[in-house]
Amino acid sequence: MATHSLQDMRQQASVAAKVFIQRDYTNGTVCHFQTKFPSELESRINKQQFEETVRTLNNLYAEAEKLGSQSYIEGCLACLTAYIIFLCMETHYEKVLKKIAKYIQEQNEKIYAPQGLLLTDPIERGLRVIEVTIFEERSLTR
Amino acid sequence: MPGVSSKSRGRGPSSSPLPHTTVPTARPLRPSRYVPVSAATFFLVGSTTLFFCFTCPWLSERFSVAVPIYNGVIFLFVLANFCLATFMDPGVFPRAEEDEDKEDDFRAPLYKTVDIRGIQVRMKWCSTCRFYRPPRCSHCSVCDNCVEDFDHHCPWVNNCIGRRNYRYFFLFLLSLTAHIMAVFGFGLLFILYHRQSVDRLHAIVTLAVMCVAGLFFIPVAGLTGFHIVLVARGRTTNEQVTGKFRGGVNPFTNGCWNNVSHVLCSSQAPRYLGRKKCVQSVCVQPPFLRPQLTEAQLAAKILDNGIQGDLLEMMESQSCDAEPPPPPKPELRYPGIPRGNPEECRLLNKAPPTPTMYKYRPSYSPGKNHTALTHAYANQGRWEEAGRGGRAEGRLGPGASPGYSLGGRSYPSFSDPTVLSGGASRSSSSTHASAGGVHVSEATTASASFKSLANQTPPPHHPSRNGSLSYESLLAGGDDSDKVGAGPREVSSGRPCTPAAGGHNSSFLMSQHRDAETHSQSSQSPHHYHHSSHHHHSFLHRSSSSTSSSPPPPPQREHPLGELHPGSHPPSANHSSAPPLPHHHHHHHHHHHGHHHHHHSTSSSSTSRPPRFAAPHAPPHHAYPYRTRSTDTPLGSSSTSTTHPPRSPHPPPLGKSLSYSSAAAAEMQYRLVRKASASAGANAAGVGGGGGGGGSGGMGGGEIQMKPLSRANGCRPFSSTSSCSAPSSPCHPVSVSARPGVAYPSSALTQSPAHKPQTGGVRKVTGVGGTTYEISV
Repeated sequence: MATHSLQDMRQQASVAAKVFIQRDYTNGTVCHFQTKFPSELESRINKQQFEETVRTLNNLYAEAEKLGSQSYIEGCLACLTAYIIFLCMETHYEKVLKKIAKYIQEQNEKIYAPQGLLLTDPIERGLRVIEVTIFEERSLTR
Repeated sequence: MPGVSSKSRGRGPSSSPLPHTTVPTARPLRPSRYVPVSAATFFLVGSTTLFFCFTCPWLSERFSVAVPIYNGVIFLFVLANFCLATFMDPGVFPRAEEDEDKEDDFRAPLYKTVDIRGIQVRMKWCSTCRFYRPPRCSHCSVCDNCVEDFDHHCPWVNNCIGRRNYRYFFLFLLSLTAHIMAVFGFGLLFILYHRQSVDRLHAIVTLAVMCVAGLFFIPVAGLTGFHIVLVARGRTTNEQVTGKFRGGVNPFTNGCWNNVSHVLCSSQAPRYLGRKKCVQSVCVQPPFLRPQLTEAQLAAKILDNGIQGDLLEMMESQSCDAEPPPPPKPELRYPGIPRGNPEECRLLNKAPPTPTMYKYRPSYSPGKNHTALTHAYANQGRWEEAGRGGRAEGRLGPGASPGYSLGGRSYPSFSDPTVLSGGASRSSSSTHASAGGVHVSEATTASASFKSLANQTPPPHHPSRNGSLSYESLLAGGDDSDKVGAGPREVSSGRPCTPAAGGHNSSFLMSQHRDAETHSQSSQSPHHYHHSSHHHHSFLHRSSSSTSSSPPPPPQREHPLGELHPGSHPPSANHSSAPPLPHHHHHHHHHHHGHHHHHHSTSSSSTSRPPRFAAPHAPPHHAYPYRTRSTDTPLGSSSTSTTHPPRSPHPPPLGKSLSYSSAAAAEMQYRLVRKASASAGANAAGVGGGGGGGGSGGMGGGEIQMKPLSRANGCRPFSSTSSCSAPSSPCHPVSVSARPGVAYPSSALTQSPAHKPQTGGVRKVTGVGGTTYEISV
């Protein structure tokens, strides 16, 4: 077809770069990400906004790893049932991970995607890094 | 579960650590892996069934029905924990994506230092998994995965014990101890009441079960006690065995109570592999919003007459001024974006300041992608930059030349970068094979000696050098690596560097190197690490003990283990022997460290122990630093076996290596070199006047080895490239001496002064990273 629809003329986004927010190990092996604002994002997003996101994530991970009554009860129950309960019940950590996934999704939709960024859930990277994908505009030229 | 994953790897991404690919990694099915776990299952289930069938009926009648119920509950607990310990993912990290790796350019260091509660901890680059291993993470060579909070690889459950399943392993040990005690106790009760009718079938079976129980009780109880101590102290087996925190502070402990509650009561850690892929439903569509410009930026814009250039410059300078501008990368996946490395700058604060320092981060797993890497290497046209300090070699590990890696055994060579650029990779690979043995030392030297070269002070100084905690001092390599980073720079400037002193210094360093190496057979162990830091004692201790017993030790080493701990973890394979073995020694001899070093041939996997020298991980005989380092030796183990099949999977024991006069060590070296030369004798001959071939082929003694070194003024018998005409004779004395794990260097070293290279007072050597420097000999 010789005609080009409006969609073809639309600009596309392509991955320009990826920034990796590394883990902060100053407090041991607890899951905590560095809140330092990477320079590559300086032009793309508000520093406070970004740091707020990372801080919230850190809090959520701290909650997941907390040695509280829930994790204790869970452990006892699992022991008593010869761990069969793991087949039925979702562990505390998994629950919090779901919360985190939802939070990241929501942050992406509201804040990051409109600015051409995308956060990847760190669980996909083994909780080692938060991957921030930077998109750039690339117009289709025909 | 690693055991299953090996088979199911091809089935899909969910079972593979590979992030998104479904390419099955060809892991050979090794039935020997399943022998210990099958035996354990057989004994456990079989004995308990016999107990329930023959002993329990009478007991329940005679005493109470609670007896079989109690035993049943305990046995159920044992089985449940055993199954979970066996089948649960220990916390395997998925392989990092390619994009993550590109952030670190060629000059990325092998180690990143991180500060944990005031203690410097090194994170090592895992070339298999392509990321810097988090603290406490280690790469298991058996499972070929990096495991979080790696404890050890247990052959009895045929699985790694890591963060996720340590609790179940620990509870398995506790419950198994209780179960064995119960079975033995009740069996004894049965026998006591049946003294008159011992010839009856029931009594005989009970006696047999009691024997099995008694036999297994000692190692199991010992291991249980060991792990109780570990849990209380907040250490992993890996850390205990490698002596990381000996005399120092453990940064990962939170106090006994917190440690115990963390192990027992923390929420089940999530697994990283095989997760449901969360579909990103967010649509990223331009036009993109931009954040509000600050006033300063606005002002700049105004002054610019609307030209964006200054603004961009400002941003770029912000990101890049933390470190010297890195050399242009040959491959820029995402051009046009200011590539500052803020995190890396921060993390590298303790690392060598200059980016050219060390780039021996192996970028591939040896034995697999050698060819590919070499090609990629060549294709990327890095040769022209090689002169910048061996940047070309960065990816391959210390001093490795791409061609070098082509050979089956790739040893880092001190090939001149200019030589490499000549497309000598092919020839180098062939030649390198010939001088395999020698290369090993070289390789070791390349990486390790690279650091050691830069450091004028021998390792023993390290502990005292830093006022920091013993963890750091034990690391020892931390400083070394920092210094090493500076090494090539200085070296390239042409001043006589450490290699000059290398004759002695390197040998000294090498001894520790070897020291460290000897234990780490296929990959590990921290023992060398320990030795490095306490080389004084170890050296004296070992040398005295090792002089006469070089040959016997390797085979002997295994016997005691087998005899002493029949039920424990016999070293089934170099890499698979679990740490419990040393534990038993510890348990039995009450000085585990000493015995660990002597007997602990292999740790379960390459630990994240920071090697004092870069090469320590290499199997001693090959001493191929980056290779083992990269893969934590699946190759290491194989190479070990290939090089010393008759002897033992272990390299010369620590003590042996230390002894310069160790005949066995020399003999082994000769064998190694002979083997290496045999494989590529022709090539070796072609190399630089055949010095290498002659040298490697003429294994008559250390002297012979040294001859080609000294003879080959301009040629590098050990170098990987035969066509290298550049005056980059590898620092033979240094490389040879620094070769870890084998006494070969020692003999060579001792003779090197005698064999004063006839080249003259100054020799040109290509160090790690391809920098050429002059050694005043």
